[in-house]
Amino acid sequence: MKKYILLFASVLFFLTACEEIPPKVTGSMGGGGGNTPNPVEDQKRQVIIEEFTGVRCVQCPAGAAFIQDLLAIHGEQLIAVSIHAGDFTNPYSGSQYDFRTPEGTQLLSYLDQPFGFPSAVVNRKLFPGQFDLQLGQGDWAGYIASEKEVAPKVRINIEPDFNLGTRKLNADVTLYMDEAIASSDVRLSIMITENNIKDWQITPASSTPQPDYNHRHVLRGMLTAYDGDPVTGTLSAGAEIKKTFSYNLPAGWKEENCEIVAIVSLNGASKEVLQAHQVHLIK
Amino acid sequence: MIPRFWLPIVLLTLAMQGVTAQEAENEQATTNQGRLSGNLQLNGNFFMRDSLIGAYDIPQYDRQLFGADSWLNLNYQNWGFDMGLRFDMFNNSNLLNPTGTFTGIGIGRWYVSKKIHKLGITGGYIYDIIGSGIIFRAYEERPLAIDQALYGMKVSYDLTDNWKVKGFTGRQKQQFSTYNSVIRGAAVDGFIGIDSSRVTLAPGFGAVARTLDDGSMNNLVATLNTYRKVDVIEMFPDTLNGEGPSYNTYAFSFYNTLTAGPFVWYMEAAGKTKDVIYDPFGQRTTASGDTVVGRYINKAGSVIYTSLSYAKKGLGLTVEGKRTENFDFRTRPQEEGVRGLMHYIPPMTRVNTYRLLARYAANTQFVGEQAFQVDASYALNRKLTLSANFSNITNLDGDKLYRELFTEVYYKYKRKWTLTTGVQLQDYNLEVYFGKPEAAPAKTITPYFDFMYKFNPKTSIRFESQYMSMSEDHGIKSDYGSWVFGLVEFTLAPHWAITVSDMYNIDPGKESPVDFQTGEKQEIHYPRFDVFYTHKANRFSLSYVKQVEGVVCSGGICRLEPAFSGVKMSVNSTF
Repeated sequence: MKKYILLFASVLFFLTACEEIPPKVTGSMGGGGGNTPNPVEDQKRQVIIEEFTGVRCVQCPAGAAFIQDLLAIHGEQLIAVSIHAGDFTNPYSGSQYDFRTPEGTQLLSYLDQPFGFPSAVVNRKLFPGQFDLQLGQGDWAGYIASEKEVAPKVRINIEPDFNLGTRKLNADVTLYMDEAIASSDVRLSIMITENNIKDWQITPASSTPQPDYNHRHVLRGMLTAYDGDPVTGTLSAGAEIKKTFSYNLPAGWKEENCEIVAIVSLNGASKEVLQAHQVHLIK
Repeated sequence: MIPRFWLPIVLLTLAMQGVTAQEAENEQATTNQGRLSGNLQLNGNFFMRDSLIGAYDIPQYDRQLFGADSWLNLNYQNWGFDMGLRFDMFNNSNLLNPTGTFTGIGIGRWYVSKKIHKLGITGGYIYDIIGSGIIFRAYEERPLAIDQALYGMKVSYDLTDNWKVKGFTGRQKQQFSTYNSVIRGAAVDGFIGIDSSRVTLAPGFGAVARTLDDGSMNNLVATLNTYRKVDVIEMFPDTLNGEGPSYNTYAFSFYNTLTAGPFVWYMEAAGKTKDVIYDPFGQRTTASGDTVVGRYINKAGSVIYTSLSYAKKGLGLTVEGKRTENFDFRTRPQEEGVRGLMHYIPPMTRVNTYRLLARYAANTQFVGEQAFQVDASYALNRKLTLSANFSNITNLDGDKLYRELFTEVYYKYKRKWTLTTGVQLQDYNLEVYFGKPEAAPAKTITPYFDFMYKFNPKTSIRFESQYMSMSEDHGIKSDYGSWVFGLVEFTLAPHWAITVSDMYNIDPGKESPVDFQTGEKQEIHYPRFDVFYTHKANRFSLSYVKQVEGVVCSGGICRLEPAFSGVKMSVNSTF
């Protein structure tokens, strides 16, 4: 009997061992990053979260609200793009807008299909231990925080010029290479997002959609291919690469609520984003 | 990746060198030495886009067009060793993520096992269970791409003929990799027979611990740091004195099977220390002031499960009960759905096999449910058997989640024909199981029959039909509405079986597809045609399938599956 008691005790010891020291949880500390953009010379790492969502996705408002909290924490160092693609995106009969875009649908395919919605991709990076690029809500905050600490290899400057009369947008985008990039396939993507669009969205509060839900940073279109345009030229440290893009802003997009988002990313086995940057369409 | 698998592959290759299956069989027969056995499961899917039923917008329909899954399993026993190797292949597979694609090829499992007197040693990918699996179950469920093997070491020791102890440690498999959290566990299992009576006991005690890896903990803390302070204090009341999420979570379980004549009584009580788990129905206010559904909670958990069976003279009776509270045990709390689960909580519903009867399945609610089930079967004579099943599931506040009444009459006329018929009544909470806000429960009435007629011992025909009547929600049928299903199966034993079936959305509901031209709900047919050919230990199938979206369950674990349209083929073989 004694040996069984000894055995039982050793089993318990094996399992419980000693008391641990848990990590400290503080709760929300509020805006840490500040929203005033730094001049390009002092540009910090700017992380992009591409959230996949849909007007018929009942859990997605929780994801969108969570992103608002993250934006409050990280300030200008976090850029959010909400991509309406995949299941749950068919507009309702009362919807004023169809948020689906061809580029959004292509991005969904390019950046892996989510296991469930909402889902997001942080810096298009495959993090260690993750199955694919798509991340559930529980992983967004941690990976954003760790990505924010990585110094950018490239800084981005965007100079928009929007003609209110013709609704023509010209954007000069300059890349300042701080480090040489070894990859032979580097891409530059330019997106236009729109904030504060009031339209229908299903929420957990009701079986009928909320008609005035505030849709934020919705991907409206792209000035490049969905996976970006190839960046040609020397990608050595100190190099500057300048590109100019033009776009006719469709009627119905409120230019005062629009942002231009630039993403420099790799293409191929790794699609990792090296830097992102965002400016208001109208300065 | 390669170095990890190098040793077992070499070992197995050396062990099997020059030994084919046939040679091994011959050798086994003559010298009783090595034995090589195995099996193959190969599934191929040809995807045919059908936007009407929702079979589109995933890579397989848009561009890949073909996907395959395969498992080739080899086992070899010799010199007191037991070893195995499994080659897994997923090519543009939709198994892991039904709306996504996954391609990966490699060694899905290897293990080496040896018994040295009373000591058993196993290394590699281990499948095992403690009790009924409530605190730990490492298992495989291929239809849902679940492979919760433990990659590590297990030792066991026979204390006596009737008492055994085992201990294990490792990490959970994640396709061709592993999660980073470390799992350890131990169990003592016994058997007590009382000589003078027909009473036996099989008691056991098990314990499992999970140590969260730093990366997962960092992500968890980063997420919790976006919560309002009031929510953090609710989770960790003593946070000022250093209380926070635990790296180490412990689960314990006591279980026993008592057998007394015709009675078998199983009971298991399990507890889990405080752990951060995701409550999909919990509400919180974000720092930005929005109210959202779904939040992390930090609570201890418990499960009580019991089952009492009686079987004698044609009567079979089983009563089961279960209460679950905050018992979601995963290798990391960020994992969702069927991913990263370290355990298995027995379902408390009947496993239905007929197409419409199986359409609404109640998957286990880890945060809280209480349930009971009664199953009775009585054979009046050799011809007639009556069966009934009743199950009831509520949440911990008593709100109804699922209720089912199932009846069955089975009649066998000589060896000429059999008839199985009955009715099923279901009450299914769409808000909880499908996440539809304010949706009324789906109440179904489904009569069914299954008639099989034998022309001769080798030739038979079988007819099967079900009609599901669906309740209404605000003047429209719930979910997909009412259905009718019919199937004809012609069997030419022992080789051929051919089935033709159709599932028809006879009275479409809220979720049924809409005709964009007329704006009317469409009454869609979902036909299926199968050919099965069996030759000895080989089985082949070829099917044309159009399948509506729904919940697919396997072994009590369920997930939502999108619609399917295309051709499926499979090869199964054992050798």
